[in-house]
Amino acid sequence: METKTVLLPRPAHDCVRIADGVAWIGGFRCSDCGAVTADQTLACRRCASRTPLQPFRASERGRVYTWSVVERSYPGVAVPFFSVIVDLSDGLTLKGTLRDVDIDAAPAGMPVSLVFDDAGGARDASGAPFVGFHFVPRAETANE
Amino acid sequence: MSDVYVIGADLIKFGRYPDRTPAQLAAEATLLALDDAGLSIRDIEAIYAASVFNAASMIGQQVLKQIGQTGIPCVNVSNACASGATAFREAFIGIKSGLYEVALAVGAEKNPTGMLPAGKTLGPPPEGLFGSGTMPAVFAEAGNAHSAAYGTTMEQFAKVAVKNHHHATMNPKAMYRKETPLNEVMASEMIARPLTKLMCSANVDGAAAAVLVSERKARQLGLARAVRVRGSALVSDPWETRNPVMFDANSVTRLAVAKAYEMAGLGPQDLDLVELHDCFATAELLHYENLGLCGEGEAGALIDSGDTTLGGRIPVNVSGGLLSKGHPIGATGVANIVEIVQHLRGEAGERQVAGARIGLAHVLGFGAAAGIHIFEKA
Repeated sequence: METKTVLLPRPAHDCVRIADGVAWIGGFRCSDCGAVTADQTLACRRCASRTPLQPFRASERGRVYTWSVVERSYPGVAVPFFSVIVDLSDGLTLKGTLRDVDIDAAPAGMPVSLVFDDAGGARDASGAPFVGFHFVPRAETANE
Repeated sequence: MSDVYVIGADLIKFGRYPDRTPAQLAAEATLLALDDAGLSIRDIEAIYAASVFNAASMIGQQVLKQIGQTGIPCVNVSNACASGATAFREAFIGIKSGLYEVALAVGAEKNPTGMLPAGKTLGPPPEGLFGSGTMPAVFAEAGNAHSAAYGTTMEQFAKVAVKNHHHATMNPKAMYRKETPLNEVMASEMIARPLTKLMCSANVDGAAAAVLVSERKARQLGLARAVRVRGSALVSDPWETRNPVMFDANSVTRLAVAKAYEMAGLGPQDLDLVELHDCFATAELLHYENLGLCGEGEAGALIDSGDTTLGGRIPVNVSGGLLSKGHPIGATGVANIVEIVQHLRGEAGERQVAGARIGLAHVLGFGAAAGIHIFEKA
């Protein structure tokens, strides 16, 4: 009897974490000054504290800080698309693609949710799938 | 400590040189600057050579192999788009320290054509999946942040391209020397909103060089065409909450200019002209505020006023800037300095800023570095 190898999904982005069958966004916070970064540095890049940065699971809600509609990109990349800078609600900033928004909109300040996806169906050399993310608009709640 | 003077400065015409090596371009600019100074390579005690793509192949030593192997030390510099300013500052430090009387700063580049390629990643190529990493998108995002905060319009960004292309028509060393009216800039191919193709810097080949000397040497050679370095600053990007996910062109430039103004004992009100890093039209408006040429949020009004056009209160990028003169990355920081020197000498021809006595040159390297130099006619 043949047992096929199970190909577990891999993160398509440095901030994507995968464990126990779920994906989330990971950030790091300095326990001395509170600075938040996307990557684990040797010391805090804001205050230089060597106390190890604390990993945290980031919010998947945020707001668009700024944006562009990219109409010419590298060869083979489908255009147009929204490139956005999103401030997540607990301090982490991510760059991502915004979908489900009129391409002629100006989404500065727009409340958005982070949605995990299959990174365009990409596979690595062994055939394993990827987990990526993009942003979509969300309804604003009263307490924001 | 001795003051430092520029006594020779020149650049080759920016363009495409498929049959020449970067070192040959650098050597040609070096000879032009030496001739301008009335000196020979035998007078140079050290070379600081900038080239983003050729520093690792020892472009300074290659220059010496083109024009004379005098055995002097070469320091080869790669510091993104701030490479040229970095080389100039190192030459400045070499003379300021008293170690050298005469040093050369040279920058040269043969730019890759098209959009500069993205770096390799372990996962799928991120472009389009996770926004865009292209330089136009990065500077479009920076511009749109300004628009969201202050209402700056695409038309105001486009006016930067109109102005700098107009200036370049008066610069025989510029790559593009063609007027581009506002409707043409607005209607050219959209790259990353609000940046059209004519609002993006021109990828070209080029080289520029400057000869720096001590005060003693300057007096010996004659001060008639000498230009004094009043301020020199080179900084790296300080902490900002969104950086480096979002490139921050602002804080690094503000840190540099504060240091340069302090060293010079001058402020923005003292400047007669500015060459700043207009890699994209959006960047020029951001830097109006970063350099203190206007108040916060007033950059759109400043370009509308015409004050930064030749003949205005504070002309900016009268060379044509990176947008129209061109942006050979490692050469740009030296070329901006050459432009300032020519104006302070009163030798800028048709585009001369009348009565210019003090000028500022700024460059910004992605990653990030900012270099600023302030000059005064001796």
